[in-house]
Amino acid sequence: MDIQKSLLHNPQFQFGAITFFAKQHKGDTCGSNGLPLTPNSITVYGRAQLLKIIENPYLCQYIDIIRGKHERTVVVSQYCGKPLTACLNTDNLNVDNIKKIAYQILKGLEELQKRNIVNRNLSTENVLLMEDNNIKVFNYGLYYMTGNGQYVAFPVMSVLYTAPEVYLSKPSSTYSHPKGDIWSLGIILAELVINKPLWNSLKLGQIIRKIMSLLTANGSVFERITREHNCYEKYSELPADLKDLINSCLTVYPSNRPSVQDLLKREIFNNIAPSPMKTKSKVCKPFQNFTIMEFYHWWQLAGGDVLLELKKQGLIRTSPPILSLPKAVLMDGNILGLERNFNLLYDPKVVLMPLDTLYRRFSHIPLSSYYPLIHINSDIIKKSEPPQYDASNLPLVIREKDPEYQFHRTILMRRLLHGYPFTRNLIIKESEKDIPPLLRGNIWAALLHVKGDYEKEYAKIDKTTPTPTDRQIEVDIPRCHQYNELLSSSVGHNKLKRILKAWVSKNSQYVYWQGLDSLTAPFLYLNFNDEAKAFACLSSFIPLYLHNFFLKDNAAVIQEYLAKFMQLISFHDPTLANHLHNINFIPELFAIPWFLTMFSHVFPLHKILHLWDKLILGDSSFPLHVGLSILTQLRETLLNSGFNECILLFSDLPEVDIEQCVTSSLKSYNITPRSITYRKHQNENEKNIENMDEMGITVQELNRERCPRIHFTDVVKLVNEEKAIIIDIRNPTQFSRYAVRGSLNIPFSSVTFGSPVLESIGPHGATLKNNTEKVVVVVGTEDTDLELFPKFLLECKVSRVCVLHGGFNVLLPVSPTILYTPNSPIL
Amino acid sequence: MANRTGTAQRPNGQTQGKICQFKLVLLGESAVGKSSLVLRFVKGQFHEYQESTIGAAFLTQTVCLDDTTVKFEIWDTAGQERYHSLAPMYYRGAQAAIVVYDITNQDTFGRAKTWVKELQRQASPNIVIALAGNKQDLANKRMVEFEEAHAYADEHGLLFMETSAKTAMNVNDIFLAIAKKLPKNEQAGAPGGGGQGRRLVDGDTGPKAAGNCCK
Repeated sequence: MDIQKSLLHNPQFQFGAITFFAKQHKGDTCGSNGLPLTPNSITVYGRAQLLKIIENPYLCQYIDIIRGKHERTVVVSQYCGKPLTACLNTDNLNVDNIKKIAYQILKGLEELQKRNIVNRNLSTENVLLMEDNNIKVFNYGLYYMTGNGQYVAFPVMSVLYTAPEVYLSKPSSTYSHPKGDIWSLGIILAELVINKPLWNSLKLGQIIRKIMSLLTANGSVFERITREHNCYEKYSELPADLKDLINSCLTVYPSNRPSVQDLLKREIFNNIAPSPMKTKSKVCKPFQNFTIMEFYHWWQLAGGDVLLELKKQGLIRTSPPILSLPKAVLMDGNILGLERNFNLLYDPKVVLMPLDTLYRRFSHIPLSSYYPLIHINSDIIKKSEPPQYDASNLPLVIREKDPEYQFHRTILMRRLLHGYPFTRNLIIKESEKDIPPLLRGNIWAALLHVKGDYEKEYAKIDKTTPTPTDRQIEVDIPRCHQYNELLSSSVGHNKLKRILKAWVSKNSQYVYWQGLDSLTAPFLYLNFNDEAKAFACLSSFIPLYLHNFFLKDNAAVIQEYLAKFMQLISFHDPTLANHLHNINFIPELFAIPWFLTMFSHVFPLHKILHLWDKLILGDSSFPLHVGLSILTQLRETLLNSGFNECILLFSDLPEVDIEQCVTSSLKSYNITPRSITYRKHQNENEKNIENMDEMGITVQELNRERCPRIHFTDVVKLVNEEKAIIIDIRNPTQFSRYAVRGSLNIPFSSVTFGSPVLESIGPHGATLKNNTEKVVVVVGTEDTDLELFPKFLLECKVSRVCVLHGGFNVLLPVSPTILYTPNSPIL
Repeated sequence: MANRTGTAQRPNGQTQGKICQFKLVLLGESAVGKSSLVLRFVKGQFHEYQESTIGAAFLTQTVCLDDTTVKFEIWDTAGQERYHSLAPMYYRGAQAAIVVYDITNQDTFGRAKTWVKELQRQASPNIVIALAGNKQDLANKRMVEFEEAHAYADEHGLLFMETSAKTAMNVNDIFLAIAKKLPKNEQAGAPGGGGQGRRLVDGDTGPKAAGNCCK
């Protein structure tokens, strides 16, 4: 129990939030493309995503960025330990501690520098000392996420710690050299040595004056600081190496000030053993059974609400709406009298998030649940496993909101993902239940066979050379799922553009069709910080589900696909198919955006994710079933509508219940023999039915034949499982020689296709009328008309009608087991 | 379907004027504002981030013109050149077309000219074509001069207006101008003849009269 507690109550798994306002655009301004300017909070939101992937022992991890009302941004970050300011005026820190702190801050800065991030916000307040005497730097990304301060109206800096050159640079200058951070480090170390805050009693302006006065100091800045604080003895007693370090940090000229790398090489740090590093594997990162990201997610599911906490602690104050009315609105749309109180733009206060609710909620979870077994061969061990948390009967949306269920799913899926690709089959099995939202990006990548070297592959592709397609991509991106914050941010636009350009450049046999942008959006959304993975997923997805759809001339592929779609509707829903046929409502008019983008152009992102969760588990015929299930959901309206009403319905697609859609697609997918949806243009790798295309069914034939063809292997299977009604339309002589066991002989010549009533085909009509489950296979020969009869059945509203491809004779050589001679007794 | 091919019945049994139904197609380079024009005309709305159109979209709107009610069946097509092969399916049998370009982009005007040529060659001979220079609200970024487009339109017998789906400028006007120009005489088309939305599909050889009208 204690271990379990320590797993959950990990002191590192604590987080806090800060908040600020982004600069507001004035009035109704437009960009050069005529579109409104992207709100700065969205730009910040997009930039801040990168910070979330920085994992370093000396940096607090960024967890979440939340956009509030009126350009407010809330940043949630790991926050553990207490700020160094709390250690001042105590005897907690000795010289060795200070050296270690210096080293760890430098290591943190080194990580940031690797990513071209300047901190600009380093201060004693923003360095957190943990109980194990290690530190973590906090709030180091503010300058970066605000575009070096350009998207906010307040200066990003800590006054006391800011290097003199920053004060000397132009106020409009948005670039700061990383060496400014070294100066800040020097001030922090000086404070720690003196053991009290510097110029504590001075006002803001006076502090800045003090810093500027240091510019003219002769000799050591550090020495002067200690003298000013009446503690020169501390300076003189300080070991030479530390004194030297602080002195070099506080070098006035940035060019003479050493860099992070210079400082890290110093002898002073030789004895400071880097904190015990876990053995680094070349293959994969060390396994954590959950991370702070997941912990935060569970916290949210268990009722944690960052904005609410900020309100409780007074960081977000609501004012009466009447106060937010403008004083005057000019004719040109400019608004006067709504200036925000400058002092409220940024509040450095950090609000810690209470974790008790989550702790309580999870307190009963046994340790073994943190380490679920994956392969179990022994029953005894199986029994010792705790019973699974059962939520399988609950609707998906509820399961996704259940903290405990998500805990189990996440723990399990993380384990499986860690073992990918060896665990791929288990991942598939678990994904069939559901996919935990937090790991969706990685799970999809696993399901799509994304390989380990995807980053290298992506790096190799040309994503910058201008091409004639660029104009199209550029006009499409600002229209692609722009309600989503990530995709509407400028970082998102750039990423999407690069992925699309990469795809076009990698697949020279294909071209950019409008819609490819929508298709890419879900992958980018899920892998926002891993462009290469988004690209790899897209590259695997297209051959699986959209093989040859992006050919320059894709007419044949699309026409075949749509014809198959129509046949599938006939197969499952004759009434609807007849209606659509009669009003000439052909799929060409409404279903192209559905299939070309796998519905990503017609549904909002959250629906696409749930839809694709299942789509990715199926083969290339699954989307046809999704299309069918959408029609089924709108069935009543469609049946009661004429052409115009139907097409209007699809021009502005009404609300579709995705969970219901997925369920009914799965149902029809599972009961449809595979050869029914066979396409000549589907991916070769997926074709396991040979011979089907030997006869080469042309698109014209497909469009004419209202019922699909079925392959004999499926027929044999269905007959053996007694799931078929075989209607043999050959003449009685042929029939009496050989026929399929249990088949009904309705000679083609005996039927008059007058009115569509089943009675006109004789006694067998009743069998067909009562059929609800079985597949009706029409078997003829090449001489018989194989279109008229099935069409007749369809018009009689017989469902699941299909035609044996190749006619009766294909059964002769391959499957004598299902045949018999009707005129002789069965042996 | 009474309102499609019959005389409109008022609740009190009084008869109203004629009802005419016309098929109209929008063509033009992508992102010039075709869908936005339709959305403004049909729903009075404007979306800054109007999604791109794949394939085509269909909408209807009715306008009143003196004693005649004109119902537009509007096919809004995809702008990308690649979708070109689908276009004939939509403009075949259309009585009217709006060819749209973006006044801030010279290339889109060139593309509009190509569409006009294609329509004059391949669409119904009596098709009424209007040229719309959209995004007039961005006139300060103008790349296509009004006079240039106007002269071109005159030369080719097109209706011409500069429009703005964003500010609604000239949007209803251009549709009304088309409605006025469309023939509404009885001999122009048999009742229920060409021009209904359903008549556009492949293989359909139904009447392609320049207007179908009923008393």
